[in-house]
Amino acid sequence: MNIDRINYDKAGETMFQYQHSSGLKAFVIPRKGYSKKYATFSTHYGSTDNEFIIPGESQATLVPDGIAHFLEHKLFEQKDGSVMEKFSRLGSSPNAYTSFNQTVYLFSCTDRFEENLDLLLNYVQNPYITQESVEKEKGIIGQEIMMYQDDPGWRAFFNLLGAFYGKLPVRIDIAGTAESISKIDRELLYKCYNTFYHPSNMVILVVGDVDPQSVFSKVEAALEKKDAQPGIKRVLPKEPDVLNKNYAEQSLAVSVPIFQMGYRDNLFRGEGTDALMREVAVKLLLDMLAGRSSDFYEQLYSEGLLNSSFDFDYTIEQGYAFSMLGGESPDPLKVKDRFCQMVEETKRNGLDPQTYERLRRSMLGRYMRQFNSVEKISHTFISVYFKGVNMFDYLEVYDRITFEVVNGVFKEHFNSENLALSVIRPV
Amino acid sequence: MERISIAEQAIKIASFKGIDIYRINVDKFKTSSINFFFHDNLTRENVTKNALLPAVMRRGSEAYPRSRDIAMQLEMLYGASFDCGVTKKGERHLIQFYTEFLSQEYIPDGTDSFTAAFDLLCNIVTKPAFENNRFKDDYLMQEKDKLRMLIESRVNDKMQYSVERCLEEVCSGEPYGIYDYGYAQDLDSITSDDITKHYHEVLETFPLQVYLAGNISDRHVEIVKERLAKMARRDLKPLVNGFSKKQNIKPKQVNETMNITQGKLCLGFRTNIEPDSRRLPALMVYNGVLGGGIHSKLFQNVREKASLAYYSYSRLEKFKGLMVVSSGIEFKNKGKALEIILKQLEEMKNGMISEQEIEAAMKSMETGLKSLGDSQMNIVDFYLSQTVAGTNDNFNDMIEKIKNVTREEIAAIAAGIELDTVYFLTAPEQQGKESDR
Repeated sequence: MNIDRINYDKAGETMFQYQHSSGLKAFVIPRKGYSKKYATFSTHYGSTDNEFIIPGESQATLVPDGIAHFLEHKLFEQKDGSVMEKFSRLGSSPNAYTSFNQTVYLFSCTDRFEENLDLLLNYVQNPYITQESVEKEKGIIGQEIMMYQDDPGWRAFFNLLGAFYGKLPVRIDIAGTAESISKIDRELLYKCYNTFYHPSNMVILVVGDVDPQSVFSKVEAALEKKDAQPGIKRVLPKEPDVLNKNYAEQSLAVSVPIFQMGYRDNLFRGEGTDALMREVAVKLLLDMLAGRSSDFYEQLYSEGLLNSSFDFDYTIEQGYAFSMLGGESPDPLKVKDRFCQMVEETKRNGLDPQTYERLRRSMLGRYMRQFNSVEKISHTFISVYFKGVNMFDYLEVYDRITFEVVNGVFKEHFNSENLALSVIRPV
Repeated sequence: MERISIAEQAIKIASFKGIDIYRINVDKFKTSSINFFFHDNLTRENVTKNALLPAVMRRGSEAYPRSRDIAMQLEMLYGASFDCGVTKKGERHLIQFYTEFLSQEYIPDGTDSFTAAFDLLCNIVTKPAFENNRFKDDYLMQEKDKLRMLIESRVNDKMQYSVERCLEEVCSGEPYGIYDYGYAQDLDSITSDDITKHYHEVLETFPLQVYLAGNISDRHVEIVKERLAKMARRDLKPLVNGFSKKQNIKPKQVNETMNITQGKLCLGFRTNIEPDSRRLPALMVYNGVLGGGIHSKLFQNVREKASLAYYSYSRLEKFKGLMVVSSGIEFKNKGKALEIILKQLEEMKNGMISEQEIEAAMKSMETGLKSLGDSQMNIVDFYLSQTVAGTNDNFNDMIEKIKNVTREEIAAIAAGIELDTVYFLTAPEQQGKESDR
């Protein structure tokens, strides 16, 4: 068995890596002294993969929105009962989540790690879906969808995506809608499963105080499909280069308006270290322009236009990328205008190299702090893995990034033609 | 049994003038942290001032006169964090100041991050940015507005709001019914003189606990002791134990309306078990079986069998002896959900608990307790909670106690659980429409 050991001295971390004949890679990131062991089995398949060409076929298949998430729920059902019960007997907590691009199955345990790992590897490879259980799940997922409909932050987020994009599936709630899930049946679920749950489209990661050799042996023994599968072609609708709209509004039971605004990014490569570089550059810029030490935040906070709920982020994936800034404000339109004003002024006066240096340092520290938590390590690792990089590649990006790079991205990204605002107003 | 390393224990290393300093040495993390907790009794008189005070204090100190100066210093310290706020544990109101920072060994330029972060925290806590010996009016005015907004924004998170409101209803008229962040109407009259006077009262008379966690050297401990010894302290505030037992309760129904899509059904119970009771572990197992995870009766019956909800759980407020059951459901299913939930409690009263259910609950709690040691904040919170409850257990003690709980002890707990309040957050047009079975 061929195991690679890679040391990342700057972070004081080591990663072990192994590749299976099917093309699947498995990783172990050790955490000496931790009680918790956190294992994930993930597929490169999320809510945005609703149209694709099945390997061996020539026609595209279109499936209902929310099916990746529905499948995630149904995988817990096994021929001999619910897999949750088996994990419970081992005292561990199984869970799963679906994002735009991935479905992640996981458990966290402190004891009997190997039995837990066997269970995870086994159930994800062996779906048992009956039409009856599909119908029952519609009630549970229906309630999940309704819960999110009452979540103002979630709604502000998706309404902004809907402003950015008129066609891309990223604008649709990960769980779909009551209407779209009503069309899901057993056959469709199996079709998606068979397409996307081939090991060559998946990754295994274990974070914790475990022996890498024994983890990889288990993986080797447990993987049922040994051969590689040809690539899956994902079909994305053609999205115009311009915003779908620049404003979206909805009324909900909130005490104060909640908003998200941001720039849709059209110039990017959503893969490799290029994607990480752009992510780090835009996040640094957001921090420089509107972070806690900025003039902008201090001013708007003092004027009562922003409070400490204000936050920002940047997302970059294959096919879409955008920045987002949001929180609570009595006057979101004014926040947007003031932000634009500040950006224009900064374009005239230039960015401050000292601020850049201080925030680069701060960002590096925050990156290091993630290694405190097995959950955070897993989450970050998987969120970038299917872009063809791993979380340690950030170290190289922090080394390579320069003030000039950031300046260049500043001029590209903060273009008011790409700026949209989404507001949730009190009823 | 695998023992958890003694390193994850909080050791009291000094105690003077109502200040207790705890050290939690653990070197597996990349960060260290410092926590200050000022303890008060939860009272209507102080609650709003306690909430407002840290908000005004974080606006600036002598050395860092504006929030952005504090932010810049945190950024220089490789993205250290600082925060402050209030929380309640039972009828104890806690004002917390906290900083977490990269430990020295991970800092490229070798800065003594502990000393730098401690200096910053001390400056914020002991040397506020006063003008004429009192808090600045503009900072105070702005923070009053912010706090008002925060109090009002409670309604935005329906899940949390419904649970808190349910427990407030259970304890209406008792101190626990007071909201941690206070009352908007009490804010108006607070002047700069009031909040300054309150500041001195907090600093000088509230019992203070300090937790140093992470890679803490003896030299750092000495620095902390020396600095805190200089704090002016007088007449320590006595803390009271606010536990109250209630039996033979006639349950009340509380409906609240909002423009929402999904109803939130919360049931508030009195357990009548005190936090330092020998029966606490049995109560914890009881709660675990009822609604403490995917193995639980609530998850299995409300979600998996009846498909009525995405979430259904129970959780304890051990300091005040309360339990709350919470589910998000369709409005029309209130009656059905209530019936299923109450049936689970009834079954537990009748001893219908399987060995597997007990075992799964115990194991899941054991995993949870062992996992606490993997998070600095969780370790600190565990020991802080022990001091509030008046107990002195570590993770291993707690695990042992849970493992030794018997079926009879769980049954005895079940017999004493009393439903107090059925709280339903519903939509205006649904009022009166839903069938109460």
